Amino acid sequence: MSDGFDVIGKPLLRKEDRRFLTGQGRYLDDIVIPRALHACFVRSPHAHARIRAIDVAAAKAAPGVVAVVTGAELADWTTTLRMAPPIEGLVPMEMTALPRDKVRFQGDPVACVVARDRYLAEDAVEQVAVDYEPLPAVADMTAALAPGAPLVDDALASNLVSHQHASFGNPAQRFREADRIVEARFSQGRQTHAPIETRGCAAIWDEGRQHLTFHIGNQVPHGFRTQLAARLTLSESQVTIVCPDIGGGFGQKIALYREELTVAALARALKRPVRWREDRIENLTSASHAREDFVRTRTAVARDGRILALEVEIVEDFGAYSFYPANYLARVIAMILTGPYRIQDYAYDVKIALTNKCGAGPMRAPMAITSWVMDGTIEAVARALGLDPVAVRRVNMLRADELPYTMATGERLEDVTPRETLEAALTAIGYDGFRRDQAADRARGRHRGLGICAVVESTTYGSTFYKAAGIPGSGHEAAWVRVDPSGAVSASVGLMASGQGYETALAQAVAEGLGVTADAVQMQMGNTDIAPYGMGSRGARGATAGGGTAYLAGCELNAKVRSIAAGMLGLNTADELRMRAGRIERHVAGAWTDAGVTLVDVARRAYLDPTNLPAGMAPGLDCHKTYDPPQMTYSNATHVCEVELDVATGQLTLLRYVIAEDCGTVLNPALVEGQQHGATAMGLGGALYEQVLYDADGQNLSASFVDYLLPTAAELPPFEVIAMHTPNRRTPTGLKGMAEGGVMGAIGAVTNAVNDALAPFGVIAERQPLTPMYLRDLLRGRT
Amino acid sequence: MKPAAFTYHAARSLDEALALLAAHGEDGKLIAGGQSLVPMMNMRLAQPRHLVDINAVAGLDRIALEGDRLVLGGLVRHQALARAPLVRAHCPILAAAAASIGHHAIRARGTLGGSLAHADPAAQLPLIACLLDAAIELRSAHGARTVAAADFFAGVFATALAPDELLTAIRVPCAVPGQGWGFRLMSRRVGDFALAAAAVIVTLDTAGRVETLQAALGGVEATPVTLGPMAYTQQGQTPHAAWCAALATSFAAACDPIDDPRVPAAYRGELAEALLARALADALARTRGRTP
Amino acid sequence: MSERVALSLMVNGEAHEVAVPARKLLSDVLREELGLTGTHVGCEHGACGACTIWVDGAPARACLIFAVQMTGRAITTIEGIGDGALTAFQQALHEQHGLQCGFCTPGIVMTVEAYLKENAAPTEAEVRDLLSGNLCRCTGYHNIVKAVLATVATARA
Repeated sequence: MSDGFDVIGKPLLRKEDRRFLTGQGRYLDDIVIPRALHACFVRSPHAHARIRAIDVAAAKAAPGVVAVVTGAELADWTTTLRMAPPIEGLVPMEMTALPRDKVRFQGDPVACVVARDRYLAEDAVEQVAVDYEPLPAVADMTAALAPGAPLVDDALASNLVSHQHASFGNPAQRFREADRIVEARFSQGRQTHAPIETRGCAAIWDEGRQHLTFHIGNQVPHGFRTQLAARLTLSESQVTIVCPDIGGGFGQKIALYREELTVAALARALKRPVRWREDRIENLTSASHAREDFVRTRTAVARDGRILALEVEIVEDFGAYSFYPANYLARVIAMILTGPYRIQDYAYDVKIALTNKCGAGPMRAPMAITSWVMDGTIEAVARALGLDPVAVRRVNMLRADELPYTMATGERLEDVTPRETLEAALTAIGYDGFRRDQAADRARGRHRGLGICAVVESTTYGSTFYKAAGIPGSGHEAAWVRVDPSGAVSASVGLMASGQGYETALAQAVAEGLGVTADAVQMQMGNTDIAPYGMGSRGARGATAGGGTAYLAGCELNAKVRSIAAGMLGLNTADELRMRAGRIERHVAGAWTDAGVTLVDVARRAYLDPTNLPAGMAPGLDCHKTYDPPQMTYSNATHVCEVELDVATGQLTLLRYVIAEDCGTVLNPALVEGQQHGATAMGLGGALYEQVLYDADGQNLSASFVDYLLPTAAELPPFEVIAMHTPNRRTPTGLKGMAEGGVMGAIGAVTNAVNDALAPFGVIAERQPLTPMYLRDLLRGRT
Repeated sequence: MKPAAFTYHAARSLDEALALLAAHGEDGKLIAGGQSLVPMMNMRLAQPRHLVDINAVAGLDRIALEGDRLVLGGLVRHQALARAPLVRAHCPILAAAAASIGHHAIRARGTLGGSLAHADPAAQLPLIACLLDAAIELRSAHGARTVAAADFFAGVFATALAPDELLTAIRVPCAVPGQGWGFRLMSRRVGDFALAAAAVIVTLDTAGRVETLQAALGGVEATPVTLGPMAYTQQGQTPHAAWCAALATSFAAACDPIDDPRVPAAYRGELAEALLARALADALARTRGRTP
Repeated sequence: MSERVALSLMVNGEAHEVAVPARKLLSDVLREELGLTGTHVGCEHGACGACTIWVDGAPARACLIFAVQMTGRAITTIEGIGDGALTAFQQALHEQHGLQCGFCTPGIVMTVEAYLKENAAPTEAEVRDLLSGNLCRCTGYHNIVKAVLATVATARA
């Protein structure tokens, strides 16, 4: 699909691949820093305990140790983080660099050893003697919210850190009118991002220049720099963030973590480079967690399956610290929950609870549970009324003639195609045939199930979104494009890649706007001295915000190029000119012909012969641009999953997986498909395998990959992707973005499939992960 | 996670290895494949002060037929067990079990002796050793002894091995003509440790009734559980589907499954029963020369 | 006990003299002493496969080997594959978009290349089984499987 574009929409092979394929990528640990010391953290073995004393004497004397610091020293070198956005219902929280009074989860860092190498640092960590006074821990969100629960944060009145609720229309009235009221429950296990490259950083303090260079793989380099400078009481211009290649982020590599702040402060205090690499145990137990939530819906329905009103109650286990505003994660769920369905009478109640577990952070699709909840509710309605779940979807799903549609929460759906993707997915999986075969299979004791999930994915948040929501922050993005005197093209955007292929996709966006090949555009991202201040890579804003801004910058520079070329050709206007692959073409007698002028010629004039530029035009050939996307941009999809359930063992096999997606205009369809695969895989992992398990005392039982299970190639199915493209009329080129919807769809599709397989037994799976043990629990006594 | 410091010794002969073990006693640990030991060392769950590397010791990786027994050296890698023609021909259940261990990289280095000495309750090779009542040969600087598999496994990660002993070889009976085998394992993902595994070998008489039967379960209790005396009562039985189901039920019911936060005992017991029934069916199919 | 042991490592056909503590893992020695940073560390307990190298041509987890154990062994890392050009499988990964962040990629290449030396025609199920020891968090494996099958198909043609 190119639809009138030269470069955008082509499945170009990635420019960044060669170095990764040959082991020549440059990740954080590949960077050699002479004389660098290695940091290693002392971490609490207790879920909740007072720190009475920390004895570092033996550690300081250990071989190769240069320093051992605790929260006390760090308090002199850093400021406290106050997480207090002005949002109603959100309680402010404060966090020091390292805890001084008490530890709040197993893995909480309390001291840092700096030594010649990591081996020696770990030896010394064992020598640090911390005198803890264990306190009762709360490891369950319901217990945490019960009166009299131990306080996770002593500065708060309770463990309820955020409570938001709202009602739209007249749900109470609709419930009175309903033919049936249907209740359903949904709960996700606690998960963690588990990028294959763990967290790490390296700080180099230049005492002479009073400047900090901080190497870190971070998705939002400028935001990180702002935070880091503020916490160290440095001017932002005294800090440079340099992002090397990143081995996966998924939302874990955005916040300024306490370990990173500690490393930066140490480099400055010791006047030696300090680096840190988190090991896998630390990454799984002490980095950031996500998703553990409990949702209940209550739906008023008419007997034909129409949904009259929907109430949703969400409780989320946020862990012990606020690396992000606590309402951040659930707010979006409540906001977009009704998705592609016609529901105007709607109410939500969202509570966020603190517990003695590792703090939560946004994990690819923080709103992941949304589509499972909505489509799982549809399934519950179908079961209650004895209707086909596809029929119930069709009754309630928005039609094209109903768009643009304003959701009950005020969200505006436009240029989305939920019905089209639903029908395409059902056709591809062979829905009617499946139902016939399923009946025959059941008679033979073979239990297959099919699950559907409609996804409406909020991808790109404009600045007006933040304003309307009362959240400080911006949704705009920034880019520059430069052509050097020799004609070389460079560009930058305020994003940072962790696998998305920006060096290729964003080059395509620039190339499309400017009129060169993608090959000709060299992207430079991740260095805050070079890249313009942007809002980074988060959510799914890369294409619309990043690509949109890059494209617009390219267009603007293209206008200057054509003006200069017009001058070179002796034309009054540049209107008849365009540039393709760096060559100027002129529209003559109904056809485009090569005008004999190239970008190299134009660049030479712009830099080296400026007196011959058009009157009033400044020398040089570069452009800086910012772009603020619409308040919200959506893409949509339908996922369909077929499973087989071994009822004797509870083991599931994923037989087929179809995704019909509409992401609007896409920069590079091959990369988009790869994102769909990856997002879906992550959703399936969370729905079936992944679980951070804490016991009642807050001890983390999933500290390695032996217990925290990521799906492998042997567990995952092939993915069949049907791509549709309905452009968004408000964004540059019609981009919509995507990358998180796959998680949302997978969680819903696979659970609905399992419940379809379980239907003959009269049981419902409501809790993820859908382990064989859980499924057998449901089936016990019924097979 | 980096391991604690240790002194490294590369043994160049069996005698040298045994002398080192004798010298260092509880402070010493053998390293062969390292696929179980090194993760524990990296996590500092194991901190041996002396590591005795036996990878260069000659003569410990034999695979040989001696009469009606297959002799397998302690250093035989899992990959070799899975692929060796002698193993596939004379002890196919062992080849199948070895092929299911971990992943290629793990099988390339992990060893038979290492797996038996490590005695993970869910491991394949201890299960097969118990099924076949392997004779396990141990050497120390002071002498040699042979321990029956039934007496070798003492508990979770616990065996009859003394700190100064090295597992040099095992002997297992060769499959007899007409013998059928079944091996069924369930894990969360391919290559993971089993939640439970069932292993069966059976021969039928000319009338098609059970002549000999051995069955064992792994991952259900702290050590592999064998059918034991119950096997004798099955002689002469007609092995139809109901018999498979009943035997699976009674064997599983006789077990006392491990209970843990992720896998409750009730589940493990049911799983054992299901896997046993399937392994029995597979073994019977193989007696008839059919591939299940 | 931080005494260094002198050893000679044969890596990618070249001998290297290093002196390292006995406990230093092969993964760390390759990366730090030899500067061969293509072998990546993802877990240090043998579960993720990112550190996969060859020892005498067979795949192995570098994080589960102490460098001192490698006297007399021939080690091959990702840097030793392909001889300056991309191998057929590396090219297939590129064409099938079988990598995103690239962190797991060297381990996958080493696993697959070792397998393809001895197996010419795996089925899709066998390919997925082969890959089950290498974790990838980005791709969902679909395109990696396609790349293996494409490599096999091209070799047979």
